[in-house]
Amino acid sequence: MNVAMQTNPKLTWSRFKYPDSLIRYGAWLGLAVFLGYSVDYLNIPLDRIFGMFGRMGDTLANRYYPPDIDYIMDVEYFGYVVETLQMAYLGALFGLILTIPLGWFGSHNMTPSKIFVYPIARAITMSCRAVHEMIFAIIFVAILGYGMLPGVLALTFFCTGFAGKLFAEEIEAIDMGPVEAMRATGANLFQIMLFAVFPQVRVALTGIAIYTWDVAFRAATVVGFFGAGGMGWYLKRNVLQIETERVAAILVSIIVLVAISEVVSAWARNRVMKMK
Amino acid sequence: MKTLEVTDLCARYSMSGPEILKKISFDVEENDFFAIIGPSGAGKSTLIRCVNQLVKPTSGKIIFNGRDVTHLKGRELRLMRRDIGMIFQEFNLINRMSVMDNVLSGRLGYTGNIRTLFRTFPRAEVDHALQLLDRVGLIDHIDKRADELSGGQRQRVGIARALMQDPKLLLLDEPTSALDPKISREVMALIKQMATELKVPCLCNIHDVTLAMEFCNKIIGLQDGIKMFDGPTEQMDQAKLDEIYSMEVL
Amino acid sequence: MNTTITDVAARDIIIERIMQRQRRARMTTALAYGFGLILVAWSIQVTVIDDTDWARMGSFGQVMETAGQFIGLDFALFADLLHPTIETLMIACLGTLLGVIMCVPAAWFGAMNITPFKPVTYPLARAMMTLSRSIHEIVWALFFVSAVGLGAMAGIFAIAVRSVGFIAKMSAEAIENIDHGPVDAIRATGANEFQVMLYAILPQILPQVLGVVIFEWEINIRRSAILGLVGAGGLGLVFFRQMNTFNFHGVMSVIVAILFLILIGEMISHWARKAVI
Repeated sequence: MNVAMQTNPKLTWSRFKYPDSLIRYGAWLGLAVFLGYSVDYLNIPLDRIFGMFGRMGDTLANRYYPPDIDYIMDVEYFGYVVETLQMAYLGALFGLILTIPLGWFGSHNMTPSKIFVYPIARAITMSCRAVHEMIFAIIFVAILGYGMLPGVLALTFFCTGFAGKLFAEEIEAIDMGPVEAMRATGANLFQIMLFAVFPQVRVALTGIAIYTWDVAFRAATVVGFFGAGGMGWYLKRNVLQIETERVAAILVSIIVLVAISEVVSAWARNRVMKMK
Repeated sequence: MKTLEVTDLCARYSMSGPEILKKISFDVEENDFFAIIGPSGAGKSTLIRCVNQLVKPTSGKIIFNGRDVTHLKGRELRLMRRDIGMIFQEFNLINRMSVMDNVLSGRLGYTGNIRTLFRTFPRAEVDHALQLLDRVGLIDHIDKRADELSGGQRQRVGIARALMQDPKLLLLDEPTSALDPKISREVMALIKQMATELKVPCLCNIHDVTLAMEFCNKIIGLQDGIKMFDGPTEQMDQAKLDEIYSMEVL
Repeated sequence: MNTTITDVAARDIIIERIMQRQRRARMTTALAYGFGLILVAWSIQVTVIDDTDWARMGSFGQVMETAGQFIGLDFALFADLLHPTIETLMIACLGTLLGVIMCVPAAWFGAMNITPFKPVTYPLARAMMTLSRSIHEIVWALFFVSAVGLGAMAGIFAIAVRSVGFIAKMSAEAIENIDHGPVDAIRATGANEFQVMLYAILPQILPQVLGVVIFEWEINIRRSAILGLVGAGGLGLVFFRQMNTFNFHGVMSVIVAILFLILIGEMISHWARKAVI
């Protein structure tokens, strides 16, 4: 230090601040302890983990390669692929139809009744979201038998939950000005929704719709595993028979289709953004 | 020994881009408060950044305290940068970190990686930081997040951070352009005061000519990458200013 | 105002053209909707109507009866659900942690401004991210079960690999959006690249990254719960067994446990977000 200054006894500083630092470090420590305990509880062999990566590479190279592409180049399989697309399409469609009222009722600012309708709508959306689409699929298969109907229903519920939350958040983010203006003219809630809210959220809704379809398709490829129609059924058959090369081929087809769907949905969302 | 000798410095941002600096030469001596003035786009900021190689010069020579630093790389470059403090127009503080942590970050060139990870700095450095913060008048704000401060306060943190390095040269890149006129004057005065106290020469890129004339003892005027004027402040007059800034009239 | 006959005629032509365009646009929209409607009707016909075994399903009443079998809880099962529930939570946590660790190189390579060798590392990282997000977690679980065996380990890997894509993508975006000013400032003090990253880059992206991690952790709880269906540990296995033994009330109990876990996850996530952001 090249400045002659009086050491001011007031000038001290410590990084540790009580109680904030204590709480923060305590929380991180608690998390670390929990994670360490988990490793023990689940009997994870940490020392063998690196060996496992080797085994994975092995499995991939030996059992899953080369993928049996001929197996999937099959008219019947293509039929299943088309079915998967249709299931996804219908599930997203019905889900979105349900989302419009659910999102509306589940939005804090536009719901018809904050004490009654809002919690119910929110609860429905959250339940649909919380339950995994596979659980829906399995239960519907148990009730309705094998086929695509349970698949479509499962996807519908899934999409309702997924899009419902997003849509409600969009509605909650609108500019309330036009809404107030319409209220002042004496319009009822439905008219307000139609003329003040809908124009504002229309573009976002389209984006949500495309995103939902994309996600629904990914789920649709697998619901067949539990009997709900679509490509997943092929997957199950071959997993059970440990025909890993065929499984690899099916996975390849899934990846290709999802990649295409992602490109298409990204392009569509871009177009929609530009419209805005 | 002169602190900085710049000879025939040229710089361009890309192989195909225009030449921003065209053979600039000047010297900075130990007790200078050197100003670089000129219209926007003249290359003032580029010139400043060539000194500590935030921008790589394409040709020419820079000698810092008798050592040729033009083509330093890696560790040597970092060691050289330790000795040069820099104060920025947009303050460039770490917004989510506290004022104290921001000032201490000036010592990163002297801190090992493990200490950096745990943010432990030696007691002596913490004391130095406290003294600097006291000197710039921010001792009551040391635990505030940097983005909770006003513009003038943030720049003062920037000053403290630069001086934490115990620099042999201070680079100032339009330190007051983002501040209102009254605060600008206060900040310039503070910088001048502390630089004089600590005997650190300053090289200052400045937009406001009045401030330059008031605080600096030597001036170079740049226009379109070419040096138009180089001399003590007393020799600057309206005619020469018009020449430097003539592009703006057009 | 002097309007000549030609002015009026010109105006009429313009109006006529605009109306033609509108008519065409409306027809196109109508056609598009019509086409969409046909597609829907066909899809419904093919998937739902043709494919469903209506005979086996029986009447609506019978369907409702079957559905009714699910209503009710197997209370005795709850005691046995504690261990799998904890296991599910732990799989989600460790899986998310592993995903975050794997995300460090992925986000580094996948961020245009700091990727080391743009033509190779950037597309590679982006491809990995897309792969991770395209494959359903069940499929990942199937793969890992065949690679490392049944149990929690497979579940953890499946969760990790499924999450990397999203977390890395968001982190890479955050990195691409940083303010470069502080980076310059820290470099100017003589810091090395590690210090620059720690001081200038990390604090800028931390709120976003932590938010994304918490969000993905919540989703991972939902995912871990069903991975057991294919043998990767947790409540899924109990669910599978209950279905197989046709103990539908037991199935409901498992669902209740899952919902409970997700509720806890939401509470923790809400608190954690407040603390971090």
